[in-house]
Amino acid sequence: MAFRDVNARRHIGLQQLSSLALAGRTLLGPMKSYKFIVDESTNQSTLVCSAVRLIESLDLTSAAGQLLNETIQAQNKEFRTGISTLLFLVGAWSNAVLECLQQNVPISAIVSVMSEGLNSCCERVQCLQISIHDVNKELCSSSVRPNAFKSKTCQIGCDGPVNPQIFLYVQKDISAPEEVIPVNSRSHQEDDSNFNKCLLSPSSSFASIASLVKPAGNKSTSTIFGSGVIASSCNKQKLTHSRYFGTLGKSHFSSQQGSFQGCLSGPSADPCECYGLGHLAMALSHGNQTSVKLLQHIVAYQRERAECSGSFQFNIAGIVTCCLLGLPESYSCVSPGFVTLVSPEQATVIKYLEDKPLRILLVDGDLTEQYRHLGFNRPCNVRTILEHPSLPEGRADLWLSSMLDILIRFEVNLVLVKGNVCENLMERCIANSILVIGSVSRDVLRAFGEVTSAQPVTYLTQLNASCVGSGAQVGLWKACDGRAMDLGELLPVRIKVQGIPLLTAVLTTTVASKMQLIEDQFWTLACRLHHALHDEKVFLGGGAVELLCLSHIQMLAEQPLQPANKNAVRELHDPWLAASATEYTSVVLQALASGWKQYLSVVMCNSAQAASELEACTSVDHHLKKAAECGSPSAYILKEFRRGDLLRGGSGPFAGHGEGLKVYDNVTAKTEAWRRALDLVLLVLQTDAEIITGPKRNQLLNSHVSSEFMFL
Amino acid sequence: MSRLEAKKPPLFISDPLTKDAVSQSLSLLNGIVKSCYGPAGRLKQLHNGVGGYVCTTSQSSAIFSRLSVSHPVIRVLTASVQNHVSRFSDCGLFTAILCCTLIENFKRLNLAPCTVIKISKHLLSLCMDYLRSEACGCRVSVDFSSLETLLCLVRSVLRSKPACMLNKPEVDHLTVLILKAFMFTVPCHVGTNAVLGKCVIVPVKGRRVVDSTVLPGLLIETPEIQLAEPLTVKRSCSDVIKMALFCVSMAGDLFNPEEGTITVHHGISLEKSELNHLLNVGKQLVNDEVGLVVCQKVIHPSLKQYLKENQVMALDRAGLSLMEPLSQMTGSKPIASIQLLSPSCYGSLKDVRVESFASKRFVHLIPNDAVVCSLILCNRNETAWDELKRACETAEHVLQLTVKEPLALVGGGCTETHLASYIRHKSCSLPTSSFKDLDCSRTQYQLVADGFCRSLESVACSLNHDDGEILTDMVYGHCWFVPSGFPSVSNWSDLVSTCGCGINGNTENLTWRLLQGQVGSPVIQGGPKEPSGKVADFLALDCFAAKCSGLQVALETANLILDLSYVIEDEN
Repeated sequence: MAFRDVNARRHIGLQQLSSLALAGRTLLGPMKSYKFIVDESTNQSTLVCSAVRLIESLDLTSAAGQLLNETIQAQNKEFRTGISTLLFLVGAWSNAVLECLQQNVPISAIVSVMSEGLNSCCERVQCLQISIHDVNKELCSSSVRPNAFKSKTCQIGCDGPVNPQIFLYVQKDISAPEEVIPVNSRSHQEDDSNFNKCLLSPSSSFASIASLVKPAGNKSTSTIFGSGVIASSCNKQKLTHSRYFGTLGKSHFSSQQGSFQGCLSGPSADPCECYGLGHLAMALSHGNQTSVKLLQHIVAYQRERAECSGSFQFNIAGIVTCCLLGLPESYSCVSPGFVTLVSPEQATVIKYLEDKPLRILLVDGDLTEQYRHLGFNRPCNVRTILEHPSLPEGRADLWLSSMLDILIRFEVNLVLVKGNVCENLMERCIANSILVIGSVSRDVLRAFGEVTSAQPVTYLTQLNASCVGSGAQVGLWKACDGRAMDLGELLPVRIKVQGIPLLTAVLTTTVASKMQLIEDQFWTLACRLHHALHDEKVFLGGGAVELLCLSHIQMLAEQPLQPANKNAVRELHDPWLAASATEYTSVVLQALASGWKQYLSVVMCNSAQAASELEACTSVDHHLKKAAECGSPSAYILKEFRRGDLLRGGSGPFAGHGEGLKVYDNVTAKTEAWRRALDLVLLVLQTDAEIITGPKRNQLLNSHVSSEFMFL
Repeated sequence: MSRLEAKKPPLFISDPLTKDAVSQSLSLLNGIVKSCYGPAGRLKQLHNGVGGYVCTTSQSSAIFSRLSVSHPVIRVLTASVQNHVSRFSDCGLFTAILCCTLIENFKRLNLAPCTVIKISKHLLSLCMDYLRSEACGCRVSVDFSSLETLLCLVRSVLRSKPACMLNKPEVDHLTVLILKAFMFTVPCHVGTNAVLGKCVIVPVKGRRVVDSTVLPGLLIETPEIQLAEPLTVKRSCSDVIKMALFCVSMAGDLFNPEEGTITVHHGISLEKSELNHLLNVGKQLVNDEVGLVVCQKVIHPSLKQYLKENQVMALDRAGLSLMEPLSQMTGSKPIASIQLLSPSCYGSLKDVRVESFASKRFVHLIPNDAVVCSLILCNRNETAWDELKRACETAEHVLQLTVKEPLALVGGGCTETHLASYIRHKSCSLPTSSFKDLDCSRTQYQLVADGFCRSLESVACSLNHDDGEILTDMVYGHCWFVPSGFPSVSNWSDLVSTCGCGINGNTENLTWRLLQGQVGSPVIQGGPKEPSGKVADFLALDCFAAKCSGLQVALETANLILDLSYVIEDEN
């Protein structure tokens, strides 16, 4: 065993956390800057715009790095949001804790005060939670204001060119990929020269990406961006004109366009019909319009379906995505049923099957001869002998034809397979006009099983009449304007059944490196909506919660803790933990507060609401002061939020829209991100040694760093 | 051609304890275990150094199971600590620290090992007699009719594991859950030989700790089941669900891959015949009105389909760890062969439900009367979850040990300092005849006793990890902690509020002395007293059985190591 002491005054683990987190700084807030990650060994690069993807690409072999990765994956798996917040706070709190160590604050004091402090803040901010019901009422009523809205649009039109902040914001988008992070460079955090060397900026490629962020990348559309947000937020006609209410096969795109325009120009007196969720999605999106549009469609469709069956619930399990590379982003849309990509050979079958009710079979394993269900151990000591060596055909052929026989006997037209499909069988099926699609997820199989009453089987030999479902329809997926798809080798098809609880969000882009990013963004928003409904409440967004935490800590730190504390210690009863805490309380609470303060200032800087961090800090302090003067900080923050002035300084990109655009955050995801970040920092802080086990020990024993280690 | 190599002679090392390498390793090990001790203990990251899982822990069970120790002397020590931990779960660090410190302190005395051993054995017997006597001032009797002391026991276990990352409400929540889970495992009707049931920990990682819960019965994870789908389980005439439990694989493979080759003719499929056999078993299960089939391993999809068509619910991949509690809970005997199916093997269940926690889906098997329960344990990340699981298992084990012997010792260093002051008092008042029996002088006895007491006090001092002073009072002999940053001349009674275990407040006119550093510690006249105050709500308590064993194991191991005169290593 090798043993390394990590706990000098400059705690190595905390420094590692802080430097890893630094890479995610520009991913914080609604305006994220893209990053190129370049692998030095292969020269391949990836475009990332989320903390998860960033962490996936970093070198995390250190113990602290591993723990950071574990924490981020856990948050991502649970919430799919709050990850950049988590990453940022890990860094900010690591730095703050390092500073406490510099000031000789005992570790036990840091641990107990910080975790109590966070607890207290989480309780305090509960007053900024709003129930979903109230949010919906507010959002929907405030958005039906066509006249006010129209004038606002005009105002932006005039203000735009004059207002430098808006240009700054556009600028920000164009110069987005501002850092290049070499993956394989071991010491990329320390080595600045190396860092700069890799900082390439081929402006042409950047420009193309930037222009794709807003498909028409000229000045006017960019300035209109804000109004676009509002337009879709009260875009109720879209729903009545959408394909789900109209007849299928119509040109959807134009009708959508029409309604979009209609909403922009004409007054609409109808009451809001988004049932809350459309606006809620908007408020949770933090500026991600494409996904909002898709989600609004999904909600509308699920709502309509629920009207037949009873209570409506947003069902995230009934959504899948299909990524189409080669179509402009404006072609992204929602299709009921299952959209997936097939080969041109398979597509020939579709022409034959189109418009017919199909008999469908679901297979929950592979469709190959060699496949056996999980847990089946192949016998290795069985020998087969052949007595009559004159068999006409090979064994493999026997299997193929028997499988095909089964499919034909049960008149199956469509087979959805969870795993792989034997190529020869696929060919034979195509020849017999049976469409076989592989790699279909369990949720999709389940949805088809539900509406077609097909029972999934593992082997075709299991098949009986009750396993086969019916009523499926298949057709080539067409873009909204009926534009022919030239996507290279694969063609999108759509499989649907009347009343299927499955929707496919078809995500399109012409830039390959953005595909992943768009898909991530879509899922993030879907999960935010899901969690908001699950929590049944949301936080006021736009920094309100963090601001209240700051003012709360300020109050805690100023409180004369000593007299009340005697009692608290008794109650807490852990003299080993609590004894030394009291005298350091204020220092440690300030450290906790610095995390949120930096968070607010970096968000403001990233979204160009402040020119520098200093300016942002001043603005935060200004609000804190006013909140303290006001007597009730939460009331002050609530008031500012309603006015839409919170941390905007009146000049940000959203400024001027007033109450048209409210921002909300998830409750649990946010507080959990805080807690996870603090837990990680405190876990690493309390660690004083690394113990390296296994074969690596001997390598260390003989290496030049062996003096750093002790061996048992 | 084979080459013969001469055997190397074995390596003899005499007086291993005097070697530098051994004392260095020993003090390193002592440093590691000391730094881990207590609620403010420092954590260790155990990993392989090339990326991958990092275990963050301060528990002896996790550290010792991963340490690779090269020196045999140290290996003796770690082996006895591990053995203690496997039997008692708790007090592993206590044992390790005490053992290391005893060796170091006794070595320094420069007395013949046999004298030291004899005297220390006598000291141990004094301690054990005192701990087991009614007069013992550092133990508390556990009243099972009230929850308070039980909660204190569990809470103390959880609080002493900082890597679980629990805050106060979370500790309280889990403490209640663990106690509740333990109560489930106590049978309602006790015959002549009562057997405690089992609590199975179900992992739900990534969730908040307060989402943890306890359910009677067992949970089997079934990812493919649908929540909305109503369960159709056939019930027998007496309205219970008849259940069959298989511990043999029903995957339809040849489950006896012994040596030798099976030769089959072309066209004969062993798989098919095996499947037919399975389907026959299925037919019999259906005829016997079985409503639920649970298999430890995999069930062939065709058999599953057949059972489902006949309204028999089939659950596979239950796993080995569930087999014993399943059979205990349902009364079914695990069926180890599909050749013979005896109806006497079947057990029964009250109900079956579908439950979901986080993204996981489970079938919940509800027994008629529960001695088996499931603790659904949540924590935010992997490393903290693993630590929490170990802590929960320790707490359950501590409760089981306490049922056998309803006593607890005061924690927070107080038992150690109290025992030390008792031994100091006792060793002064020993009659001369005892020294004759031990074949030693009074001075020798005093020296060893002092080393022993210092070792005990040093364990109490290990609870302190930041600067600060450790005190002991001159009445009860309990342990007190003064935070750093105060001048040593200040009046201690202004600085301390409660003793380490929380039983004594700073209310009487107590006097204190520093625990470490003084030569010739003063003796409390008449021995340390038992606190008179009522048992407070928030006491730190330790498991009696575990601590007693730890004390014995530490001393006996230290004696064994002191007595080593040769290490013989076979180098071939």
